[in-house]
Amino acid sequence: MRPLESLRLSWRSIRGHKLRSSLTTLGIVIGIAAVIAFVTLGASLQAGVIGDISPDDQRNVYGWAAEPDTEGGPLAGAQPVFSEDDLDELDDHDDIDAAYGYMPISTQALVYGGEISPQSDALVAAGPSYIREETLDEGRQFEQGEREAVVNPAVAGQFEEDIEVGDELLIALQGGEQTSVTVVGITDTSEGLSPFEGFEPSPRVYVPTDPYYTEDAAGAIPGGADDQDGDDGGAAGPDLDADGALYLAIVVEAESADDEAIEDARESALAYLESEESDAGELLGDDLEVTLQTSAELLQQLEDVLDLLQNFIVGIAAISLLVGSIGIANIMLVSVTERTREIGIMKAVGAQNRDILGLFLAEAVILGVVGAILGTALGLAAGYLGAWYIDLPLVYPYEYVVLAIVVGVVVGIASGLYPAWRAARTDPIDALRYE
Amino acid sequence: MATSEPKGAESGSAVTLENVSKIYELGEPVHALDGVSLEIPRGSYTAIMGPSGSGKSTLMNLVGCLDTPTEGTVVVDGQDVSALNDRERTTLRGTTVGFVFQTFNLMPRLTALENVALPQLFQNVDRDVRHERARELLERVGLADREDHLPNELSGGQRQRVALARALVNDPAIVLADEPTGNLDTDTEDDVLDLFADFHGAGTTMVVVTHERHVAERADRIVHLLDGKLERIESLDDDRRSSGEASH
Repeated sequence: MRPLESLRLSWRSIRGHKLRSSLTTLGIVIGIAAVIAFVTLGASLQAGVIGDISPDDQRNVYGWAAEPDTEGGPLAGAQPVFSEDDLDELDDHDDIDAAYGYMPISTQALVYGGEISPQSDALVAAGPSYIREETLDEGRQFEQGEREAVVNPAVAGQFEEDIEVGDELLIALQGGEQTSVTVVGITDTSEGLSPFEGFEPSPRVYVPTDPYYTEDAAGAIPGGADDQDGDDGGAAGPDLDADGALYLAIVVEAESADDEAIEDARESALAYLESEESDAGELLGDDLEVTLQTSAELLQQLEDVLDLLQNFIVGIAAISLLVGSIGIANIMLVSVTERTREIGIMKAVGAQNRDILGLFLAEAVILGVVGAILGTALGLAAGYLGAWYIDLPLVYPYEYVVLAIVVGVVVGIASGLYPAWRAARTDPIDALRYE
Repeated sequence: MATSEPKGAESGSAVTLENVSKIYELGEPVHALDGVSLEIPRGSYTAIMGPSGSGKSTLMNLVGCLDTPTEGTVVVDGQDVSALNDRERTTLRGTTVGFVFQTFNLMPRLTALENVALPQLFQNVDRDVRHERARELLERVGLADREDHLPNELSGGQRQRVALARALVNDPAIVLADEPTGNLDTDTEDDVLDLFADFHGAGTTMVVVTHERHVAERADRIVHLLDGKLERIESLDDDRRSSGEASH
């Protein structure tokens, strides 16, 4: 019997039991849809995140201090240990182009032109080069020691009148104090500029650590110093010889984006920060450990988490596929029994065992493939909706679409083989007598 | 088309059974057939009669290449069935035997046309050729206007006529009918038996298993089976009235 004829005949009997066939394929549909949806989302997420690393960011090494084995990515469990002196010292290292502190500052609101916009965590204090030239849409970087700020489009566009370079902005801090900034630049994206901020778009005002952290906000930060005169701050410990604020995190810029230059900068910074010479070294004690990583490395962690999640979903989907194929096998066995007489007729009129085998196998494979196709379509639609909802660039993992179809065929063969074999071995004499 | 001249002119018999026994092991051996010898000439019309358990079905299965004998030889269309493997036997069955069953045994999801064409599907005949042949036969059994009907849309007599058309589609050496009118009323029975006579008249070898005398009397001769043995062969002359002891 020709394969095409087998398919035609099998398709006929599947259509003869529409509801039963649909329910049978459901397990396959769900399994495949889950994999395709999550793989699409994963690929889109990776594309979205990796697209955010600019070449200039590649030479940055991001550091924070936390208990070893703290999970959760950048800044997880971070303690403020990096002092101004540490940063100055690092800045002087040969391998290091620049080093500056990073500190998110809690805010209550932003005020512009008399209009108040409640905002928490809108303020980020860092060094000037934190704002990379190519991310500036207008204006320039802020300067250290000046009351200047760079805002992102989410802040600039949030008031009735758009903020422009040169405008004054008032910031209400968590402690209730107010501070003013002059906007000197506007970035081209509202997404985070480093792994510390995360990558989702959010309104942010970037200011120099001096004076905004060291003077204005230090009091509001637990562990930060009250002023620049070297009073020991509460949580910082009594023997701290720092001259002021402690930073939650640091950014170390290597001389270049070479792997070697980055490694030198990292080692040089780490050696110093863990030594007795540095304030950080003293504060670390036995509990804390400094982590220094590049964006790429941090993203790798994120990707590892994504991969883990993806594997988990694929695992669940595999179970769904297994259940689905058991469903197909079960329904095929029922079908073989139901059609015993038909098998007898076909054998009586000259059907070979392999013809019968082919017919039932084709039926199982059709169920598997139809399930896979529907599942793929559903999964792509779900992935599309998901990516659209989280606002990610859509990347379709085409190789998985092919894989899904292959899986459908394999599941069909695996689940149809035994029932088809049983059908093929049916004795025509018994089958013709079967009621 | 039904054969107008017999197949395999080198042999005069469509089927030859020589000293055939079939023994089933059901706790103790049961002789379903016990040393039966029978020749079915080409172009003949043979009825097989006998009470239940006389071995009619077993004989059908052997002649129809569905089964092999425990002892003796069954030669169908010049081929020794016992010497064939399962595949070859299936091929022989598909090409040289046409079956007509009491319960019609049509495929429920196939149309009349597709049912008639079904045996040729397994002989890799092209769809167009198949359907053309099936149409021709449907016309001959008077169902040209029913080719797209499913079996459950046809009456019993129509179904049996579709089954007869199917039995003839591969131009078989022999048509085996097992109680072909058992499920039909008297009028339809006559129509179907008339068709049998037509095809026999056109040269087809017919074997009808029945326990009804008037059905058997349509044949040239009646083979009587009893307890697995050939009791006697009764020849019927042309006017189908007189009967006599057969000598074989």
